[in-house]
Amino acid sequence: MGTRPGARRIPARTYATGAASTVLRPLLESPRRPARVLAAFPAGVYLEVRTALEPQVIAVVTGQAVRLPNAMVLAEPVPRVAVGGEASVGDGSIELGPLSLRVRRWWDPAPPLGPADPVRLARSLPLLAELCDASPRRPGLEGRDAAELLAEGCAEASLLRSLTAAEQLVGLGPGLTPSGDDMLAGLLVALRHLGAAAGVGRAVWLADWLAAAVTFDARGRTTPISAALLLCAARGEAGGEVLAVLRALAGRQPLRPALGRLLGIGHTSGADLAWGLRIGLAAVLGLAERADRTGRTGRTGRTGRTGRTGRTGPMVAEVGAGGR
Amino acid sequence: MSLPLLSGEPHVITAGAAVLGEALDAQAVPRTAVDWRPPLPGTEDDLARVLADPRRAAANARAVDRLTSARPLLTGVRPAREVLDLPPGTFLHAGPPIGWERASGPMRGALVGAVLLEGLAGDAAGAQELLAAGRVRLEPCHRHRAVGPMAGVVSPSMWMFEVRDAEHGGIAHCSLNEGLGKVLRYGAYGPEVIGRLRWMGEVLGPALAAALELTGPLDLRSLIAQALQMGDELHNRNRAATSLLIRELAPALVEAAGRHAAEVLRFAGGNDHFFLNAGMAACKVSADAARDVPGSTLVVAMARNGTDFGVQVSGLGDRWFTGPAGVPDGLYLGAYGPADANPDIGDSTITETAGLGGFAMAAAPAIVRFVGGDVADATAATRSMYEITLAEHPAYRIPGLGFRGTPVGVDVTLVARTGLLPTVNTGIAGRVAGTGQVGAGLVSPPAAAFTAALAALAREAPIG
Amino acid sequence: MDAERPGTDLVRVRTGMYHDSVSLMRVSRAAAGLPGVEVAVVAMATGLNLGIAAGLGFALPAAGPADLLVALRAADADAAERAAAEVDGLLAGLAAARVAGPAGAAEPPRTVRAAVRAAGGAATLALVSVPGRYAFAEAMDAVEAGLSVMVFSDDVPVEREVLLKRRAAEHGVLVMGPDCGTAVVGGTGLGFANVLRPGPVGIVAASGTGAQQVACLLDLAGAGVGHILGVGGRDLSAEVGGLSTLRALDALDADPATELIVLVSKPPDPRVADAVRKAADRLATPVVTAFLGRASGRGPGDLTSAAEDVLRALGAEVPGWPSWSAAGPRVPGPGRAADSGPAPDHAAGDGGDRAAAGRARRLHGIYAGGTLCAEAALVAGTGDFTDYGDDAYTRGRAHPMIDPAFRLEALAAVPPGDAVLLDVVLGHGADPDPAGRLAPAVAAAVARGVPVTVALVGSSGDPQGLAAQAGALCAAGADVFVSNALAARHAAGLTGGPR
Repeated sequence: MGTRPGARRIPARTYATGAASTVLRPLLESPRRPARVLAAFPAGVYLEVRTALEPQVIAVVTGQAVRLPNAMVLAEPVPRVAVGGEASVGDGSIELGPLSLRVRRWWDPAPPLGPADPVRLARSLPLLAELCDASPRRPGLEGRDAAELLAEGCAEASLLRSLTAAEQLVGLGPGLTPSGDDMLAGLLVALRHLGAAAGVGRAVWLADWLAAAVTFDARGRTTPISAALLLCAARGEAGGEVLAVLRALAGRQPLRPALGRLLGIGHTSGADLAWGLRIGLAAVLGLAERADRTGRTGRTGRTGRTGRTGRTGPMVAEVGAGGR
Repeated sequence: MSLPLLSGEPHVITAGAAVLGEALDAQAVPRTAVDWRPPLPGTEDDLARVLADPRRAAANARAVDRLTSARPLLTGVRPAREVLDLPPGTFLHAGPPIGWERASGPMRGALVGAVLLEGLAGDAAGAQELLAAGRVRLEPCHRHRAVGPMAGVVSPSMWMFEVRDAEHGGIAHCSLNEGLGKVLRYGAYGPEVIGRLRWMGEVLGPALAAALELTGPLDLRSLIAQALQMGDELHNRNRAATSLLIRELAPALVEAAGRHAAEVLRFAGGNDHFFLNAGMAACKVSADAARDVPGSTLVVAMARNGTDFGVQVSGLGDRWFTGPAGVPDGLYLGAYGPADANPDIGDSTITETAGLGGFAMAAAPAIVRFVGGDVADATAATRSMYEITLAEHPAYRIPGLGFRGTPVGVDVTLVARTGLLPTVNTGIAGRVAGTGQVGAGLVSPPAAAFTAALAALAREAPIG
Repeated sequence: MDAERPGTDLVRVRTGMYHDSVSLMRVSRAAAGLPGVEVAVVAMATGLNLGIAAGLGFALPAAGPADLLVALRAADADAAERAAAEVDGLLAGLAAARVAGPAGAAEPPRTVRAAVRAAGGAATLALVSVPGRYAFAEAMDAVEAGLSVMVFSDDVPVEREVLLKRRAAEHGVLVMGPDCGTAVVGGTGLGFANVLRPGPVGIVAASGTGAQQVACLLDLAGAGVGHILGVGGRDLSAEVGGLSTLRALDALDADPATELIVLVSKPPDPRVADAVRKAADRLATPVVTAFLGRASGRGPGDLTSAAEDVLRALGAEVPGWPSWSAAGPRVPGPGRAADSGPAPDHAAGDGGDRAAAGRARRLHGIYAGGTLCAEAALVAGTGDFTDYGDDAYTRGRAHPMIDPAFRLEALAAVPPGDAVLLDVVLGHGADPDPAGRLAPAVAAAVARGVPVTVALVGSSGDPQGLAAQAGALCAAGADVFVSNALAARHAAGLTGGPR
């Protein structure tokens, strides 16, 4: 008899719940929008949501997966869906395959780190370096010119060299999240959070410039997933493993286990992120020392409760002006 | 004060209402659910008192550390009369204190045999008359820093293993193993039993003593650790440990025992349980190191006399807490069956007290059928003992569990809370005196022994 | 066969089987709904439950609290046997779910102590909800392992509470409870808790529903709440002396994400209140105290005015609190709860349209939340208020936020001409559809001339759906307010009582 038009079988919906980053809240609270499956793995599915401004990426992952700053974590396995498949996001849920996903817990991917004594941070750097160097997990771009240039540029507080290196690094390396992007993401969150925590305004200022540079054309230069994560990093938003290392660097929890979990991520992603954090921490310390030496206003002195560590736009103007 | 839980990823332990745990699952919060059940009936107030005792945590840490850090060395073999400070006319027996009237068949049989061995009566009838008249003073082995398997009867002319704790300086003794079949420890007292005991005193004991003089002290902690990795659990299976012991002693025996060397080696090598008694002394000296820590709820002795099962607790001195001994559940030899079995008997539960035997069942897949189960049951038995013990043994490790240390140090409060009783491997003695061994299996101690100890701890706990 | 009790009784005791009371209540409810079944009691054989079963006329064998009692009365022996088989299946399902656990572990730990070990150092918190007389042991396990613990259980002797909290101080951890119904830790809802957006407010609460009211109002106003640290209803008593309150204040002060602390409680012991105020003054983080009836801000001392004080302290706008009137005009307001359902109405609080039609004689407050009940009584200044969450009503059975049976009976008993005020609390742990369960009784009350006002405490992210619940209650004829104080004022207005 053939297929009757319009008689498409509607699969039964199964409801599932989990936890999500507050980054996703505006999308979920908006009217429903169509989305597309960008990539699908046993531990996670990446969705691209079409919005008025630019597409946004959501990671739907299991508890075993890395908790990305744009993730919703499910208590159960993620559904098997095909790349390119249709989905939708909004009106309070994510519709993916047979599942209708609702959020029962929200987490903040950019919680304020609180004040951190630069002396304490300075003690963390050699330990971080030692643990990274001792680990068999190596960053993907070790020894490459751009990576070295970035480390040097940050250490010298040279905006020109840092920006040049950063622009070279965007999209550099293989995979869903190229090594260059992961390094930049680690650097951006370290500069922003550790800079704010230690009251090093120049570090936040540098983060703003680098963020603006790498996010400007990221969507054209790297994978959509990586571009979305760079955008998160530009705003100071990070995954749980990175946040734990930041807290550890500030002396709020033990470094060794936290770094171990970070280094274990992905093929080289964890090591790349750690490399970025290391450059960022060194830069924050270098900038703090420079400010102390020159007596300029690089240190804001406001290491207290300055609230949220930065939304890119206003921060550029505010801190940039103060820093000059 | 900063609380780490306010930042970072949550992981919640849930105990109680399932609906609250499910709410966490819905939030994708990782959790470990406790399969909670009410404690043994009537223990909740005692538990609260004891758990509130401010001394408990530190006392238990100290007690179990002493238990697991003991380094038992086999230092000698000597006659009981030389080492045990036995007053004339005193015999030792297994388990908590008991008199002739309440003694079970195998205990009576063993006592009769000891009377005959010591020449205090001419025949069994005379021996029974003597014992019934109270002319022989009976005391628990445990009171004399000694242990004995099954009936555990020790009289002055029997020879004993001597084990010293090189870490804490303690000393303990255990009789020599007679082998299987018709033996005194199972209550047999026929001429062949007495004859063997005399040979053990005249030949075996002196030969072992002379050999040990040559070898110097043997490290039993290391030997037990190796045997566990060779499939022994050191209570119902001692084949590997026995072989290791003979390997250590053989050359010295040949040198020291001259013409008796072959018969001594043949005797020891023909008895898979020859090591058991040395192992028991090692366990005893370790458990004794953990005694008398005020406030500790650690069990330092579990023992049965064929009528009662008794426990002693570190914080409660040498008081016994008892309940009726159960009949083991297991396999029977030949035509014997459960009706022939005597209630549980022997000090060999000192192995479980020290983290071996039933607690190390997962190490001994070869005997899981013998004790009525399969390998999964053995693993489950060992795993469940982690629930009621304070530590994992640093030296005694189980290959099949990823070299995890055996569960060691029974905590009375954990027994009461979980209702899980220590898993005990044991031989089964015939009910009738003189029958000998009728089988082997698993036995559950009476909960009452543990709840009585808990009540005593509660009475002694400081108020407030 | 007894003439008064037709049908067949079937009583079975399952020894050595344990399940918690809420799970068993679900089984009882399912069994009672089976064909031919008249009465079903599936419960642990505690003295209380044996008494209930005996009161229902069952002949009972000897059984103890460690045994599980199945008592069924059915139309005939066949139906009873079928129901018994069904109950066995449901119990087996509970056991399987428990054994499998979320991680699918083969041998689940039996104590908190063993669970800490099984979690391999990952555990951050323990949640203890075993019956109160057993809770001390499990909570102590957590404290000794260096874990903070929430003790949901009530009925824990006060001297054990003090001991637990002193021991917690030695170990540098926090004891939330006993009798702590609500906590939120870094967004994780524990017990009866709402789905909140994380943010700068930290709440220390000696009152669960009080904290839920404040947090939900803040959430509706767009202000984030990072933590609610419950301390238990007795913490601010003279005996306990605020041990956990002081620790929780310190912990939130040290938390970099917390910019403002709110302390919510019923009126505490005066000396403890002094000590807590002094401690709060020493903190670097500002503290707003909301001691019911004695708030530190400029409002009238109810929870809504406390929430408004918090918003002002944050420099945020105080919105008009959403409400939904059954009869009145529906004017969309600036509230944030507009996902679906009726549009909120902001004209409430003036006594409503029915006031003109004739005043109700007497106000009945039928509450599930203790602090909400006390607040409503305080604000209304008139009427009979009953807290069905009180120990007297919950011993041996589920909380009214899970099981509405007592409240439904009370609602049905209100005579025509009187008015009713009740609370409905949403969130984790609560009834998945409280409005659905209450709506028929609300509609019946309204139909016989009993006006019903509902204080609906929930956030826009709650699983039940705030707007959907409001819509269902509204459709049944109730006036619904997200502010309990506004609801109480409205209800008092219906009786012409004091404002």
